[in-house]
Amino acid sequence: MAMVQPRNLHYRVWAARIVMIALLCLVMFPFLMIISVSFRTGNFATGSLIPENPSLEHWAMVLGIPYETADGNIVEPTFPVLTWLWNSIKVSLTTSALILTLSTTGAYAFARLRFRLKHHLLTSMMILQMFPAVLALVAFHAFFNKLGGVVPWLGLNTHSALVMSYLGGLTMNIWLIKGYFESIDVALEESAHIDGATPWQAFRHILLPLSVPILAVVFVLSFIGVIGEYPIASVLLQSVDKLTLAVGVKQFLYAQNYLWGDFAAAAVLTGMPITVVFLIAQRYLVSGLTAGGVKG
Amino acid sequence: MAEVKLTDLDKSYDNGKSFVLKNINLHIEDGEFVAFVGPSGCGKSTLLRMICGLEDISSGLLELGGERANEMPPNERRVGMVFQSYALYPHMSVRENMEFGLKLAKVDKAEINRRVAEAAKMLQLEKLLERRPKALSGGQRQRVAIGRSIVQEPRLFLFDEPLSNLDVALRVQMRQELARLRARLKTTSIYVTHDQVEAMTLADRIVVLSPLADGAQTNLEQVGAPLELYHNPCNLFVASFIGSPKMNFFRATIVACGQSESKIKLECGTELTVCNDTSSASAGDKVTLGIRPQDVLKKDSNDTGKNWITGTIETIERLGNESFVYMKHPDIHEAFIARIEDSMRRECGSEFRVGVPAENCHLFDADGKALKRTQSPKFD
Repeated sequence: MAMVQPRNLHYRVWAARIVMIALLCLVMFPFLMIISVSFRTGNFATGSLIPENPSLEHWAMVLGIPYETADGNIVEPTFPVLTWLWNSIKVSLTTSALILTLSTTGAYAFARLRFRLKHHLLTSMMILQMFPAVLALVAFHAFFNKLGGVVPWLGLNTHSALVMSYLGGLTMNIWLIKGYFESIDVALEESAHIDGATPWQAFRHILLPLSVPILAVVFVLSFIGVIGEYPIASVLLQSVDKLTLAVGVKQFLYAQNYLWGDFAAAAVLTGMPITVVFLIAQRYLVSGLTAGGVKG
Repeated sequence: MAEVKLTDLDKSYDNGKSFVLKNINLHIEDGEFVAFVGPSGCGKSTLLRMICGLEDISSGLLELGGERANEMPPNERRVGMVFQSYALYPHMSVRENMEFGLKLAKVDKAEINRRVAEAAKMLQLEKLLERRPKALSGGQRQRVAIGRSIVQEPRLFLFDEPLSNLDVALRVQMRQELARLRARLKTTSIYVTHDQVEAMTLADRIVVLSPLADGAQTNLEQVGAPLELYHNPCNLFVASFIGSPKMNFFRATIVACGQSESKIKLECGTELTVCNDTSSASAGDKVTLGIRPQDVLKKDSNDTGKNWITGTIETIERLGNESFVYMKHPDIHEAFIARIEDSMRRECGSEFRVGVPAENCHLFDADGKALKRTQSPKFD
């Protein structure tokens, strides 16, 4: 960049760097702490960042491998943590996929079609979304309890019920995607119609491929949101083998005994699928997809 | 290929409260090239979009190839359209852009390749087939947009101001290419433009549209061959729209009526003889005299002939082969322009006299309707 800079810019750059490094430490510390706790012998929340007696006992516990302690006792894993992890991934993937499907089609209607009460619908959806789902916990419980009587696979203690209740959160995503759709010139779809495409084909072959970045964002956001969700899952899921990881890890924290080490190991495990999903998704987070299509 | 027939076509919004287009009647023959021209807001693009199905028809009848097309969705009309903004699919290569419609129509692979190759050759796109639109220049993008509609072999081509995003030099070049393409394909075409040069040079017939005035019956002003519109505009609007620089207008009153020749008097008192049929009017009627800047003659100040107007020079645009002299007269309402075939330096503020040949005059009655010229030039 050739712009002329004032002389004190140099110091400001350094100040900015220091602030950023401090911020980074602030963010990284809890994360490193959790990792450290998961490798520490015994269940202690406090201690040095680098474990003095590193041990794999907690990881053995969460990965379901029997572990032999120093004094020769075999410790059997108490909880099916890997099952929980699998439950979490299953529920999160299904929910995110469904949210993506429903919110893209919904957003298309709001962005491209003309119908009565469109504006009112959008605003009321937004306002309804503002009430935290937690406030409706009792309602969720009662609803799925009754529903289970009629449709057993949608009753309490099923994953499909959980997915259903999470789907209520797609309004935000409709808004997000709608905004993105509106930034894409309608002429592109019009030209597809002229080329012989039906509205669905124009949506599928033109609009969707151009919206991949926002679709990736929505997928990642809902995945993260669902995998860490606690209140609803804790109410709807009851038997141990059905729990998601977020609810399950709470089992390590008894009132009398907080098993911080096991808890930390399970927590790190929760982070894995998020990391994987994010790594995959970021390939699609590219800008400039629509460049060159239209001249404004 | 197909003929297009519009009968009493209307376009209105708010349930018939505000009209954009009213009573459009037009018959476009098979193979004809028709241009829609008009100032912005006259509904020319809307009319085009109604023909291709992107905009619904409020009332009236649209026939494509002899069958009613009002309710036909755009993907079934088999028309090709070139957008002003090109509207290329940015995530597809040039080849994929051209193949898109054919693949949807399940045309077989060999046929797709043949058509794409042919169009690419015609439009000199062969070396660009694997590129994305992003990596193309404006002119190349426009050629891809044209190619995309050619490969579909549509029965009707629609162009929505296709050249208005290009710079001047490229526009002239693309205009030539379009003319060449047109001669080769012979498909019925409708071309929307606000550039009358494009319309004059490309079209067989021009349709002039005006912004719909309150209480007007229609906003279709005149339909005719380019030179017909130039030499015999049917009203003030068409006269002022066709031709560049604009036709000069003077307020006048009729002094003596006649079937082949009439006498009129300008605001400044000058009397002129004009070759227009004023037998339907009477002496004393208010009229408007129209004369194109190209049609006036330079007069020497010692010329004693009749039919001239004097003005003071305001500015001169000297272009080398010609000059445009902008003149004013204290008693004449509007400034007027004369095209002079020299580029002599003339003093601003000095007096300048131009001849107004009687046979070059256009005369319009108080409603703006043209009074017939009795000696209009020959053209085919």
